[in-house]
Amino acid sequence: MMRQVASRLAIAVSTWAVAVALIFVAMRVLPGNPLLARFGQHPDAKQIEQISREQGWNRPMVLQLGEFFWKLGTRGDLGKSIARSHVSITDELRVRVPATIELTLVACLISIPLGITMGVAAAVWQGKWPDVTSMAAALLGVSIPVFFLGMILRGVFTFLPTSARLPLNEFNFQSITGLMLVDTLLRGRPDLWIASVRHLILPALTLSSVPMAIIARITRSSMLEVLHADYVRTARAKGASFARIVWRHAFPNAAVPVTNIAGLQIGLLLSGAVLTETVFDWPGLGQYMAAAVVRDHDYLAVQGGAVVITAVFIGMNLLLDVVYLWLDPRMRGI
Amino acid sequence: MFTNRTLWIGLFCLAMGLFAAGCTSSAPTNTLIYGRGEDANTLDPINTDIGEAVNVIVNIYDTLVTYDDRTAELVPGLAESWEHSEDGLTWTFQIRDNVKFHDGTSLTADVVKTSFDRLLQADHPLVYDKARPYQASYNMIKEVRSDGERSVIFILDRPSAIFLKNLTMFPASIVSPTAVQERGEKFAERPCGTGPFQMVAWDRDQKLVLGAFQDHWRGPPGVDHLIFVPVQENQTRIEQLKRGEIQIADNLSGFDVESLASRADITVQSQDVLNTAYLATQTEKPPLDRVDVRQAIWLAIDKQELAKVAYAGQATPAVSIVPEQMWGRAKLADRPFDPDQARQLLAAAANDAGFELPLKLSLSYMNRARPYMPRPETVAGFVKDSLEKVGFQIELVPRAVNQHFPFVMAGKHELALAGWSSDNNDPDNFLYSLLDPDNISDAGNNISRFRNAEFHKLVVEAQGELDEGKRLQLYQRAQEIAFAESPIVPLVHARANVAMSNRVFDYQLHPTGLVRLRLAKLKGQP
Repeated sequence: MMRQVASRLAIAVSTWAVAVALIFVAMRVLPGNPLLARFGQHPDAKQIEQISREQGWNRPMVLQLGEFFWKLGTRGDLGKSIARSHVSITDELRVRVPATIELTLVACLISIPLGITMGVAAAVWQGKWPDVTSMAAALLGVSIPVFFLGMILRGVFTFLPTSARLPLNEFNFQSITGLMLVDTLLRGRPDLWIASVRHLILPALTLSSVPMAIIARITRSSMLEVLHADYVRTARAKGASFARIVWRHAFPNAAVPVTNIAGLQIGLLLSGAVLTETVFDWPGLGQYMAAAVVRDHDYLAVQGGAVVITAVFIGMNLLLDVVYLWLDPRMRGI
Repeated sequence: MFTNRTLWIGLFCLAMGLFAAGCTSSAPTNTLIYGRGEDANTLDPINTDIGEAVNVIVNIYDTLVTYDDRTAELVPGLAESWEHSEDGLTWTFQIRDNVKFHDGTSLTADVVKTSFDRLLQADHPLVYDKARPYQASYNMIKEVRSDGERSVIFILDRPSAIFLKNLTMFPASIVSPTAVQERGEKFAERPCGTGPFQMVAWDRDQKLVLGAFQDHWRGPPGVDHLIFVPVQENQTRIEQLKRGEIQIADNLSGFDVESLASRADITVQSQDVLNTAYLATQTEKPPLDRVDVRQAIWLAIDKQELAKVAYAGQATPAVSIVPEQMWGRAKLADRPFDPDQARQLLAAAANDAGFELPLKLSLSYMNRARPYMPRPETVAGFVKDSLEKVGFQIELVPRAVNQHFPFVMAGKHELALAGWSSDNNDPDNFLYSLLDPDNISDAGNNISRFRNAEFHKLVVEAQGELDEGKRLQLYQRAQEIAFAESPIVPLVHARANVAMSNRVFDYQLHPTGLVRLRLAKLKGQP
């Protein structure tokens, strides 16, 4: 098993390097550059030329890419933003990534249990009202565009805040881990903990809609398959209780595809909930990357974000592979 | 079972608590929260050209010369008085006494000199970011000298009528050299000036907090804290304003503020802010080199209707590229909207030059809102429809803002939408920057590539003319030429809208569009 884990790890690392290199090249091939964005409607050809030279953008791309990986590998240095005058990308990501992690985790805490419950209920009472309502909700969840749902929730829950992570006038609060739910408690501010939960509700609800719907549908179909299996009938014949049949005999076997989908969804959410972050002005990674690509054309910021996002996504896949090996003994032979 | 029930009751109480907490969350009074679309990129005044950075910078720093609190008239700032030599090449400024920086150091003539050296010298040791977008606006300055504690002498290499006006601009803000030295490249995030507000904290893309500077030379400002929050979506900003999370929401289009008209607790201010949106033709590309074709384009566009459709009425039709409210704008009667005449002109031109109708042209535009154009795609669609009615066939070509401008500056377009917001409240900033042949290059702002020798002569002469009356005449004539030749079609001057809670008082939009919050005050809780 260790050998399989090691080979999957090697594949993951090389996939990551290729993905980062592709983004690195793509940013430089696309028209425009960060300095043109920086100078806006007041371009100064002489200054732009000089700064580009100092940044080394006129050198062959292979050299630039090599230097980027070298600095990253040896010093963990992602460079300094060009759009925002010398801000270290690493520092920016240190703030952005926890914001996205917090939002994603809370969205998962909502979507996974709820999705699984809905799916199981729909399968157990197939064709009855729990099935109809869960599947209708799931259909709505996948088909309502996220930004639209966000706007509706914002309009309905007028007593909940619509942006930021803490009340705006709390500017003296010093963050420790970047996770507000943790920091507010560490700093002994239960009032702010409640505030940060309130700030999380709308974006997290919005973000959870799609994964909840997908998980509910997958759970339902894989539960249906299992519920008709022989061993479930045997369990029923032995007189096992209803709850035991569902949760002990059926669900664990239905859980493999659900784990797979849930894991991928977490990866997707972590890699940037761009729309939700935009509607609720959540200062996370998705919003950061969107601005870096569209507005600033900031090579270094995009690269930095890409390093993190691809690492998260590939890491999540790797983790899933390992969990699979552990969950399903049959996989170990392959 | 008992434990389960306890859990549920606990959760229920928690949920109720969360909602109840919402009703009691109290804000410290006298903190003004200002919502806008983006965050600043840097607070070092020499390094930016982004409006959101400028609006913070003008509250942290002062300049030698500044605008009146309510009007665009020039008044003394950190300089008490100034005079210039007969030939206009030597300007001497007397620096105000007893002015303190936020770090406690004093304002002296040497400090002023250092600020300008940072802006102008190619390799100044106190410059940490070499991108200085506005450097060219100060290229008439040959040398800055300090003379004793209190006087600063500027030596110019040519007489310049815009020199004084450019001193009011944010890049000419006076910074504390001690702080620049101490903070190094972090100065961009921890700025230090003499202005009414000083830096408190900045969480990028979350909030930028300024505090009142009690020792400001004009007395402390009206609020204790000022927080700028970037909120990208206009609608989110409006929602926040309705909920009292912020007190001012800026940069709203006419469409955004329509829904606020019925709210008694919110006021909307709307004001002309010295900008022009225009349609540029690439005059090097036939048949756009013909004045009759360009005039046909001019006649085909109903600007009044455009202001309604694409600006919700929050715009004034434009005749000259120089904004209506600005000193130096020529009195010109516009050609009335006349599609029939446009069609005839174009048909005659086609006959004469031997091109086929419909005339195929591409229209390049930016796909993101600009201050002078909140809905570029609507403007582009309107122009396309108007022109197609008189014999053109228009292909729309949208691009990202940071690709659109390099593309049109390099002259690769046929028709293009563009616009300009005043930098220094001077017509030169529009006429010279946008229409003079000096500004034709791969990165020049004369995107119509208009070359007219007489126009060039007039505009350049006006730059060095210190007599306002004579200068006005030169600009009148120059604008008449631009009108006759029609290299660009001025479309509208867009108004700026700011929505604010009724708790805010004594705050007025400045005619220059600058956000100066020194006088703004807050009433108690609503």
